[in-house]
Amino acid sequence: MATHTSAAAVAGLPQTMRRPGGVLSVVQEWVTTVDHKKIGLMYIGYALIFLVIAGAEALLMRVQLAVPNNHFVSPQVFNRLFTMHGTTMVFFVGMPILFGFGNYLVPLMIGARDMAFPRLNSFSFWISAFGGVLLYFSYFAGSGLYGAGTAPDVGWFAYAPLTSKVFSPGHSTDYWTLSVLLSGVGSIGTALNIVATALTMRCKGMKLSRMPLLVWIYVVMSGIAFVAVSPLTAAQIMLVIDRYLGGHFFDTQAGGSAVLWMHFFWIFGHPEVYILVLPAFGFANEIIPVFSRKAIFGYPAMVAASVGIAFVSLGVWAHHMFTVGMGPDANAFFTFSTMVVAVPTGIKIFNWLATIWGGNIRFATPMIFSIGFLFQFLIAGLTGVMLAVSPFDWQLGNSYFVVAHFHYVLVGAILFMIFAAFYYWYPKITGRMLSEKLGKWHFWLLVFGFHMTFDFMHVPGLLGMPRRVYTYEADRGWGDWNMIVSIGAIFQTISVLVFVYNLVRSYYKGEIAGPDPWDAWTLEWSTSSPPPSYNFAELPTVSSRRPLWDLKHPDDPDSNYE
Amino acid sequence: MSTVAAVANPTGDEWKQPSRGMVGMACLIAAESAIFVIFVVAYIYYTGKSLSGPTPREVLNLPIFSTICLLSSSITVHFAVHELQGSRIGRFIAWLASTVLLGGIFIASTALEWYELIYHDGLTIRTNLFGTTFYSLVGLHASHVIAGLIMLGLALIFALQGKVNAHHTERFEVLSVYWHFVDAVWVVVFTVVYVLGR
Amino acid sequence: MEHNNESGQTAVHMPEPTAAPMALALGITLIITGMVTHVAVSILGVVLSIAASYKWFRAVLPVEAHEMVPVREEEIVLVTSRKTIERLPLSPIHRKLVPVETFRFSTGLKGGIAGGIAMIGPATLFSLLKFHSLWYAMNLMAAGGFVSWTQQSNEFLAQFHIEGLLAALAIHAVTSLLVGSLYGAMLPMFPRWPILTAGFLAPLLWTGLLASVLNIVSPILNERIDWFWFIPSQIAFGLVAGYVVNLDAKVRTRQFQSLPFVLRAGVHGAIEGDDAEQSRKDGEQ
Repeated sequence: MATHTSAAAVAGLPQTMRRPGGVLSVVQEWVTTVDHKKIGLMYIGYALIFLVIAGAEALLMRVQLAVPNNHFVSPQVFNRLFTMHGTTMVFFVGMPILFGFGNYLVPLMIGARDMAFPRLNSFSFWISAFGGVLLYFSYFAGSGLYGAGTAPDVGWFAYAPLTSKVFSPGHSTDYWTLSVLLSGVGSIGTALNIVATALTMRCKGMKLSRMPLLVWIYVVMSGIAFVAVSPLTAAQIMLVIDRYLGGHFFDTQAGGSAVLWMHFFWIFGHPEVYILVLPAFGFANEIIPVFSRKAIFGYPAMVAASVGIAFVSLGVWAHHMFTVGMGPDANAFFTFSTMVVAVPTGIKIFNWLATIWGGNIRFATPMIFSIGFLFQFLIAGLTGVMLAVSPFDWQLGNSYFVVAHFHYVLVGAILFMIFAAFYYWYPKITGRMLSEKLGKWHFWLLVFGFHMTFDFMHVPGLLGMPRRVYTYEADRGWGDWNMIVSIGAIFQTISVLVFVYNLVRSYYKGEIAGPDPWDAWTLEWSTSSPPPSYNFAELPTVSSRRPLWDLKHPDDPDSNYE
Repeated sequence: MSTVAAVANPTGDEWKQPSRGMVGMACLIAAESAIFVIFVVAYIYYTGKSLSGPTPREVLNLPIFSTICLLSSSITVHFAVHELQGSRIGRFIAWLASTVLLGGIFIASTALEWYELIYHDGLTIRTNLFGTTFYSLVGLHASHVIAGLIMLGLALIFALQGKVNAHHTERFEVLSVYWHFVDAVWVVVFTVVYVLGR
Repeated sequence: MEHNNESGQTAVHMPEPTAAPMALALGITLIITGMVTHVAVSILGVVLSIAASYKWFRAVLPVEAHEMVPVREEEIVLVTSRKTIERLPLSPIHRKLVPVETFRFSTGLKGGIAGGIAMIGPATLFSLLKFHSLWYAMNLMAAGGFVSWTQQSNEFLAQFHIEGLLAALAIHAVTSLLVGSLYGAMLPMFPRWPILTAGFLAPLLWTGLLASVLNIVSPILNERIDWFWFIPSQIAFGLVAGYVVNLDAKVRTRQFQSLPFVLRAGVHGAIEGDDAEQSRKDGEQ
């Protein structure tokens, strides 16, 4: 036990500014802010809005597919739905929500007062946000301001030559390209900021070997972003040159190559999966030890595994292209490299298990989400290894089996850990606890709905149902499976509604959290909840990986063990 | 009143971390390099795949003079950093001005080359694959040169107004690193486009 | 904002809020929106971008704009929620120690090498008994490396080929090391009974690796593999690897070294997951 002073905002500071008729001043405050916490919150809030939009799109698709020969939406609308759903979820939900948490947590965890480049931080957020707005503006003005509004309909990976002017006239594809380009600029900016913050703003005593694993993982994730998001930006520039200036990069009539686009896209596309999943690992690295009451097992191995994943992930992209016909050598290489990813990932899973093993486990909501993550991520990894075998992939490439596999990763692993992170850090962000009771409802409804949807989605895939079909005949035998999948989607929707209700209700009525509700060990819990705009009145000094453990147990500090 | 974390083993007085600007610039360079790699790969992949002329061999001449100018501007900017560090503002301005001049010559000769190609040889970005890849790769590099020139030019204006002193060395050094990067990219572009690609 | 403030301060330097980044982002978005709507939008975007860049520039140069944020002193009490009364009387530490000893990673590699050598035995036995040749199993494995060998007859595979020997050696060595290192990575999870765990795990790993990739890596091996003989050779690998691991000394994890002497010496009884004999020996050193 120890006492120390910190500081909280005095009345009149931004967080508590509530002047009469102050709507404008509140808007002004959020628009002009360069505070990493507010920018992080704006990232998270805007991602949540897009999560609801893209989730509604998914729901519409599930309604359409629930029964055979359905005419709930037209084929054109369906194409737009899956394009917008994919693009939104990856670029305007996944990336921003994770960057939001990174923005909020990285400076707090390393004992800094702000990001290294606070204004660049604000710029990166706004340009990604405007990118999302531009994408959805296409619904009103897709073919140009005076044409009928149409959203992009070329799929989220927008294969050439479908994106050429001939096959995709009007501006709908341009909306896709340009908004993704904008979001890419924002991603690079934030990634740069995170690396610079973690490397140059650490508080005294926080050596790289003492940095919280979450911060380490954000550095690695940002590193991948530099080498993976930039190629996408380059490819989008090429597509813009093709569409606007009449270039021939992907114009097969003039000797251009459609396969080159696939390579460029997946050089981004696969590492992108790791950009999304690594922060999920980071959340698990923080949450699992705290709720197992043990220090993380194998800290150096965890760091090494993260870096290993980053490197391997850059050499696996063409496993998305087994069906293109790359030849046996390329297929063998990418099969092998893909399987090698399983090694560092396996190390991580074993380390989490070793952390839980023998611990004094508290099954609070963040922990049960983490445990769900462990199980589901394992299954997602196993179907991933199956798909990595190229002959198997030839059979099931672009089927619902693939859709089920990657949703298992994106929902079963990443979304579950994002929810865990919400339950874990919400008290820090707002000063109030989320309701545990609603949290458990949220968890079990989501687990039930998730497994109903995505476990059973593998089956129509195995039965040959291709992805992106807008409907199917009754005699295919896919109908019952699709009905189950669609019913599961309803349960997931309800669980998300419970979550949103919990977020709102707990903000006003939640139990007061205090600075350290989970008895945790990293620096963000040493300041008040919510933290003042300057985070720490006095910059902390640390001497181990768990500074708050040292503070609470001065007789047995961690520094003796590292 | 104690600090936030109990200091069991007080760390040494020295707590040095890398420079913020340098780390940021290194990250930017990593990201930019990835963009250039993709364009260079596209250029190499499409070499000799154009279905119609003109071909690189017919129309490209080695831009030896402008290359020398650009590469030597890397040396002058290095001297400028050195002089700024030593607070010799007059010499700093001289070296900086020559850097801007050399960079300007490079851009001007690129513009001249493009003018020749477009109006004399009839090669535009629409003509064939060579045109598409050539203009986008060289143009991407040129846009970086222009961005660098604008920043160097601003530094020069501030220096002439007497607002630059040795305290700004670190910021100017970050800028010079960007300039070195632009030059290094040109070495790659030059090799790929004018030596191997012909 | 990087100042390490003295105690008792009243305000903290923070970067001043500015709308310039947001305006620049909006300007750039408008420039791009002009590409899909009307050029006038782009022009507006250019104007906005230039104005915002200027404003941003002034916020950073010549000096970074700062504001002073007042500090309110507040007492923050951090306590652990664990109840110290409930701690077992025998353990003076409130820290779970699992595992206190484990194997080195290199032990797994050693086991992989030894197991790889041991695996040659059953494999050779299989070629001798079924095909009356020393080299059949070896050539079969090497065939993965040579596309032309896919169509070859059993007689061809029964003869000695130097390239076959080299390729088989390379493939076998790499795979053995890979399985060894995988096993080594898992060893900390199974610190006890290495022979048993290796006997189970190594064959599992082999089968997992092979079953998944065999079809594409080496169709010929896939076609002619004799699982009845293959499994004994895997088990031979596992048992030998486990035996070699067992011979190797366990190392203490960092946690062990910082235990109190009494505990390390085993005076107060064995530490969980540890045998008292070994720890007494170490304690006396």
